[in-house]
Formats: sequence, structure tokens, C-alpha cells
Amino acid sequence: MVRRVFILGLDSLPPYVLYEGHDGGGFKYLRSIVEDSARYLLESCHPPITVPAWIVMFTGKTPGELGIYGFRHRRVGMFDYYIINSNYIKYPAIWDEAGKKGLWVGIYGVPPTYPPKPVHGFMVTDFTTPDPNKTYTFPPWLKRELENVSGPTIFDVTYRSEDKDGVARDIRRMINNHLTQVTYLLKRKKWDLFIYVEIGIDRVHHAFWKYFDRRHPRFVEHPEYSKVIPEVYRHIDEWFSSVHNNLLKDSIIIIASDHGVKPMIGAFTINQWLIDEGYLKLKVNTQELRPGTDLREDMIDWEHTIAWGWGGYYSRIFINLKGREKYGVVSEKEYESIIYSLRRDIENIKGPKGDKWYNRVYKPHELYPEVRGDAPDLMVYLDDLNWRPAGTLGWQSRYLPENDRGPDDAMHDWMGVLSIYDPEGTIPRGDLGVMKIGNVRNVIEELLFGRK
Amino acid sequence: MDKDKVQISISKELYDKALKFIKEQGGFNSVEELVEFLLREVLTEEERVELSKEDEEKIKERLRALGYI
Repeated sequence: MVRRVFILGLDSLPPYVLYEGHDGGGFKYLRSIVEDSARYLLESCHPPITVPAWIVMFTGKTPGELGIYGFRHRRVGMFDYYIINSNYIKYPAIWDEAGKKGLWVGIYGVPPTYPPKPVHGFMVTDFTTPDPNKTYTFPPWLKRELENVSGPTIFDVTYRSEDKDGVARDIRRMINNHLTQVTYLLKRKKWDLFIYVEIGIDRVHHAFWKYFDRRHPRFVEHPEYSKVIPEVYRHIDEWFSSVHNNLLKDSIIIIASDHGVKPMIGAFTINQWLIDEGYLKLKVNTQELRPGTDLREDMIDWEHTIAWGWGGYYSRIFINLKGREKYGVVSEKEYESIIYSLRRDIENIKGPKGDKWYNRVYKPHELYPEVRGDAPDLMVYLDDLNWRPAGTLGWQSRYLPENDRGPDDAMHDWMGVLSIYDPEGTIPRGDLGVMKIGNVRNVIEELLFGRK
Repeated sequence: MDKDKVQISISKELYDKALKFIKEQGGFNSVEELVEFLLREVLTEEERVELSKEDEEKIKERLRALGYI
């Protein structure tokens, strides 16, 4: 007999919160489930970002095999970037396999699932949906059903704002919108596998982490904002307690995140560093640029540029290779020595007080068995993800106290969580070590098909 | 019959189910409309790699605001 599996995906939830109990009292019920679960540290992928991490989890393929290294990608020879969507995923996800074997699936908010693809069951797409007027469900008419229940679907919030009260309100409203829809789907639809990813956890972490985590270098105890994260946790916890007791008693429960979260110490202006080190040459004077100016193609003196970079949660470096790039100057013969120099120089980047940083620099071929799609030449993590690479220009210093895009308290971390609970007690309980995110798909398959 | 259309047969059982479905769910005026929609969704998957420029710009702006870019 097929056992039902419900997966609660809480984006960016770290072991520090779910396993170590630093939840501000918010996850009472969930932690009782976790106590009786097989608990793993979930090792995220390279890069540890929502896209591609969730789809790595559910396909079992590496980012290299998927050809997905983040939300955006650059075609060789182009400067501008494109954004991936669900059509770029060329491998079946666990829900596709389950559907082929006759199981009913419910997929809610898994990034990136827009535009929605047909499944044996239903699908509601995620925050990469352009707007609620689009067809964001499968079957297409499900959208109307959901909106009758919850009002218009709220896909995301803008959290990089100084209006913290507004941000908190928007996050709560969005999560409530999702919980209403998920409850409806759980009650009314047939399913054997249900996957619900809540992006609001990631948003509240980014917006309020410095008010919550006492380890944060800019920790602030605030009468209202320090309560926001625990209250969001409590909201989800109370909802889960209710649906678990009323609808999910027989189901295997998986609680998972795609990566962890930790304080962002600061941001490092990677392109300004490349300029200072002679790798990147501009036609303009960076001192005359407004802080936060994006690097544009027409700013670059391509004849004298060896490499340029992208910021984000990690940095991608692109070599101005002759024959590949429009204005390439680096020959094939020079390529490896440039890579060597860049790697050496990036690894030697130090902190603002000359403190040693644990910088990691990789060629994609060093990380993945296959490298498809539009991979960068180098992937860079600064000080083990403590510092965010900022791609923008016009800054007075290489070291910025905050994110170059606006208020943001948190960076991602390598370890997320994976806990598996079986009410029939067939799954061993306790701390069972580390599980790589790419192995989770097979675990789900075994739970669905491989158990009698 | 419209020169651009062809006639196909489906089982009466399936037809009756489809009719009941559209009466309950709405969204389609006929079983023909439902069948065309479903087939189009499944068969044009390969053509839909790129979103419209407008949609892509919306998503880029949102991702920039979220700090992913």
C-alpha cells in the first residue's frame, strides 16, 4: 500500500533553529515531530541558493547536470542575462515519476515551477510567477478555485525596505494566503505526495535576522521586530499542528529546507576589487558613479579587460575569452594562467582589518560531474558565505556594512535541515548525520515505492 | 466543419465525464474547447522555453529587489 508523504519545505531554515531550539518558542509542535524523526543535516548544493537548490532536491541532479547555477545566466558572447524558468528543467522531478506510476501529486510553491507543467494531480507555481493574472496552476482552472477561497494569490513580498512594520505585515499576509490555499488543497484534492515550499521563511529571515540572532554583529533587541521571526514560526507551527492532527495523521512527514541562513557580516565590492587588481578596466571613473550603480556593457574598456563579475549570494566570474566573447582579449593559451591568478588573488582577499578570510574559488568542472548550460568560468564564495559579493560600483570602500541592494540581515549557509517522521515508527529516530541535497529525491522515492 | 479542424472520436464515457467536469468547474464552453486546451498545453511544452520580454523584465526587477541579482 502506498504511504502518503507530505513535505513541508521551509526555505532557508537552519539547524540552529529547528534542531538546536533557537526558535524563540515558535516551533513547539514541529519540534515535537522532529524529536521523533530521523534528523539529518541537509548539505545544500553549489550554489546554496533557492534556485537551484529545491529543484536539485526534487530531481536528484546536480546544478551542473541541470545547467542551472542560479536564477540568472549569461549566454556566451552576451553581457546581459536571462532568467530561467520551469521550461529549462530537462529532468523529471520526483512528482513526475510518482505521477507516471499512478500516484496523485500536489506541488505548491516549489521554485522554479512557473510556467506550470501538467502533473498527475495539481500544481501551484512559486514566486518566480510574473503576476497573478498568468496561468499559475495546473490544471489551469485551479487558480480560480483558490482565489475564491483566499483572494488573489500573493507570490512574494518586497523585504528590502526600511518600513519594517510594512514588511512584517506583508510577510504575515502572504504566509496566511498560502496556508489558506494549502489547507484547501489538502482537504479537497486527492494526493499521495504533497510538497509545499514556503518562501516566507526566507523573506522573514532576510528582513529580521539581526533582530533575532544574538550572534549577529549588528544584533538589535527591539520590542516589536525581535518578535517577528518567532511569530512567523508560531503561525506556521499552529497551522501545521491543526492540519497534522486533522488531515495528515497517517502521512509520513518530511520537514526540509534548501539551505541554511546566518548573519551577513557585510558585502564586498567584487567588481571594484577586479578593477583595483587590473582585471577589469572601465571607460568611466568609478569615483564619479553613484553608489550602487550596476556594471553595464558600455562602461567597460573591453580591449583591456580580462574578467568581470556578478554579485549576489555568491559571485560568478567571467573571463573575456577571445573567440567566445564579443570583444575577447584573453587567448586560449592564457586562459588557465588567468584562472590560476584569479583564484590565487581571490583566495588572498582579506577582511577589512586584514583578517584572514576562508574564500572558496571553483571551476564548475571541479564541482559537478557534468557542466551543462551557461556556467561561469569561476564560482566564488567569500569568507565561507559570511560576506556577500556586491557586483555594483561607485562605493568608497571595498567593504560595505550592508547589502548593496538594500536592507538585508542574512546570508545563506551550507547546511539546512531534513527530518523524516513516520507515525508508524518504521523510520529510525535520532541524529543520522549529513545528507546531500541531491540524495533526497531517492529517499522520497523509497518512502513512496520501496516500502511495504 | 471548419477547414482547419479535424474530427476525432473519444469514448462516450470520457466525453460524459468531460461534460460534467466543465459544467462543474466552468472555464470552458465546450468539451472541444477543453480537449484543445489540454492537448495544446501538453504538446507545446517544447516551444515555451522563453517567457515574454515583459514577463522576464518583471521577474528580473523582482529578483533584483530580492537581492538574488
